Amino acid sequence: MHVHLSHFATMAIFALLVSVAFACVGRHTLATRIKYALLSFLLFLAIGIGVAWLMYPLSR
Amino acid sequence: MATEAPLTDAHTKPNPAGPAIVAVAAWIVPGLGHLLLRRWGRALGFFLATAGLALGGYGLRGEVFSPRSSDPFGALGFIADVGSGVFYFLSHLFETAGPELSRASGDYGTRLLAASGIVNLLGVIDAFGIARGRRG
Repeated sequence: MHVHLSHFATMAIFALLVSVAFACVGRHTLATRIKYALLSFLLFLAIGIGVAWLMYPLSR
Repeated sequence: MATEAPLTDAHTKPNPAGPAIVAVAAWIVPGLGHLLLRRWGRALGFFLATAGLALGGYGLRGEVFSPRSSDPFGALGFIADVGSGVFYFLSHLFETAGPELSRASGDYGTRLLAASGIVNLLGVIDAFGIARGRRG
């Protein structure tokens, strides 16, 4: 078994699955879980992209 | 602020399995502990999250740490990896080609495998708390 994923896709998959687990622990109803998972997922992506931009000057 | 759902039948029925059995079941098969407690949503969520992270990690050819690691980071890696239960015990079926650490994807795979175990350990703690009546 071998898959090829871009850096962003790997981060997005990680963010989505961890957000689902956090939502299962943190909320009790389906609607609140979906909202929590979505918010957590978007924050993971936003912070990941933000940190990547902050580190960009160091890579040059 | 969202309101909590009223307690359903599944929440009020007595727990047929003891907390220790629930915790071991939740560790061996992700989601099984919650299944025993009739928490279908959490069972599915923890199974999908753990399985997805583990299979993603194996697909990216991450490193699976053995219990006989001589360095402390290897020991920590083993604790994280073994948390995913059946996905760790069957790792030889999923990762037949071995780890590929010379590329970034292999390193990401290692992190996904560790995250899989940690997420499942979170599920174990959650299921144990529910079985003991300390969580809703």
